[in-house]
Amino acid sequence: MSAFLASGPNLGRGGGVAAWLAGLSPAGKAGVLAAEVVVMLLVWQVVVGVLGWINPVFLPPPTAIWQGFVQLVASGVLWPNLLISLQAWLIGFVIAAVIAIPLGLLMGTSLPVDRVVGPIAWTIYATPSIAYQPLAKAWFGFGIGPVVFLVAISALFPILLNVAAGMRTTNASIIRAGRVYGATRMQLYRSVYLPSTVPFLFAGLRQAVVLATIGMVVAELSGSAIGMGALIIKSVNTYQTGQAYAAIAIVMLWSVGMAQLVTLVERWVAPWTRKGRR
Amino acid sequence: MTTTTEPRVPEASPSAPLISVRDLSVAYDVARTGKRLIAIEGVDLDVHEGEFVTVLGPSGCGKTTFMNVVAGLVKPSTGTVLVDGSPVTGPGPDRAVVFQDYALLPWRTVFDNVKFGLEMQKELRGDGWRDRVQEAIELVGLAGFESSYPRELSGGMQQRVGLARAFVAEPRILLMDEPLGAVDALTREVMRDEIDKLIQKTGKTVLFITHSIEEAILLGDRIVVFKSHPGAIKEVIETGLERPRSERSVQHDPRFLELRDHLWDALQGEATAAAVSK
Repeated sequence: MSAFLASGPNLGRGGGVAAWLAGLSPAGKAGVLAAEVVVMLLVWQVVVGVLGWINPVFLPPPTAIWQGFVQLVASGVLWPNLLISLQAWLIGFVIAAVIAIPLGLLMGTSLPVDRVVGPIAWTIYATPSIAYQPLAKAWFGFGIGPVVFLVAISALFPILLNVAAGMRTTNASIIRAGRVYGATRMQLYRSVYLPSTVPFLFAGLRQAVVLATIGMVVAELSGSAIGMGALIIKSVNTYQTGQAYAAIAIVMLWSVGMAQLVTLVERWVAPWTRKGRR
Repeated sequence: MTTTTEPRVPEASPSAPLISVRDLSVAYDVARTGKRLIAIEGVDLDVHEGEFVTVLGPSGCGKTTFMNVVAGLVKPSTGTVLVDGSPVTGPGPDRAVVFQDYALLPWRTVFDNVKFGLEMQKELRGDGWRDRVQEAIELVGLAGFESSYPRELSGGMQQRVGLARAFVAEPRILLMDEPLGAVDALTREVMRDEIDKLIQKTGKTVLFITHSIEEAILLGDRIVVFKSHPGAIKEVIETGLERPRSERSVQHDPRFLELRDHLWDALQGEATAAAVSK
């Protein structure tokens, strides 16, 4: 889960807890995170389940959510909904990446393309994806189509804009070094611009994972008969909030898992970006 | 000053200069202010084969612009630069540059960074290049770090990679743009002496940009002093000190002290003028 732990500048001084956290091994960090989750679940269980401070219809305790999960699995409701959602997610994400990466490279290379595509891209990116949801239904009907569309349009722009920014911010000094040794335009592109864009690509992909999942659930929330979003709505409408939270947890795990997968692929493809100690 | 090392006295050399700069000016149009900025004006300089010329001046005096013109990275507005009798129209394999910020490729290991120049020059045919790269790495004292990434090295070590990359391309002329400007004081002294030895050993012709008076004296056969606004040559001084020189061996040498005082006065006037005109 290292991607979700702070790795930026540590502004706190000296030591104590901050220094101890900073010095932890990856396994140690995972342990801290696990402990945090366990403590949170325990408090939650005690507050809702034991003390009954909150109506469990609104916020069921963790044990009820687990029961909801077991019910979803046992009744066979989970798999068809999950499979259709993941299918839509994956198709939409691949479509986004296939369009965004080449277009981003083109935007980063050519100022005219950047000037034309850039403002449009930012405008669509700045619009909440939920606004497109009713239109998506009108365009693509009630099947998987609108979900794929919302996933794709949510994932497209973070990838596109990050790739373009990566190309544009390529270190001028390295470009000069390439020119000093007589690099051709193609050589510069392949040996300088593309590798220096790789970390930006992965940053974009990580953002895209999260936004794609939001797009997926938003698309399925209304007017869909199937999918994780539909399952959440149905469970809430029938007061089976344990099942609703179980469905939310599964979506959350998918999102976090895919973001982690992106990080793992980045470490493999771009080992130089690994944050190491000197 | 009874002995001098053999061919290092330019006037004694009857041959044509290796670098010949005549009435060189570079001016830019500054888009923001709409004004024309004169970076350097009326520069004349001859550098002979095997000569080590240091270029000394306050920041913003155009000394880096001057070097970039010789490197072929910047086009002159007026005047000519000849290298070995031919006008400079762009970068060429006869010149290599060592950059102040190292300009290493962060995604490449030390070995692959050193190989970069050869690769861009399409010199990777056959197998001989591997030995050349390895030799250059050993020459700069980085044996054992071939598979490290730049991020894992100290500033001084990164600049050694920069030096190896320049040396492996076997240029006749080395252009060094404040190569030690970004390393710490101790490393700076050690590396200055090493650069001196490397150059004496390999007999390269060097144009070495610096704003350090000591560096200019300790390394240069001649010191070209730049003035600012506009950037131009203020004076050219023969150092006339025996080699090998080290800070310790020359610090009581009257010639060294005289040069240092003279350059100090010259630069202080320049620095004050620069501060006032800003």
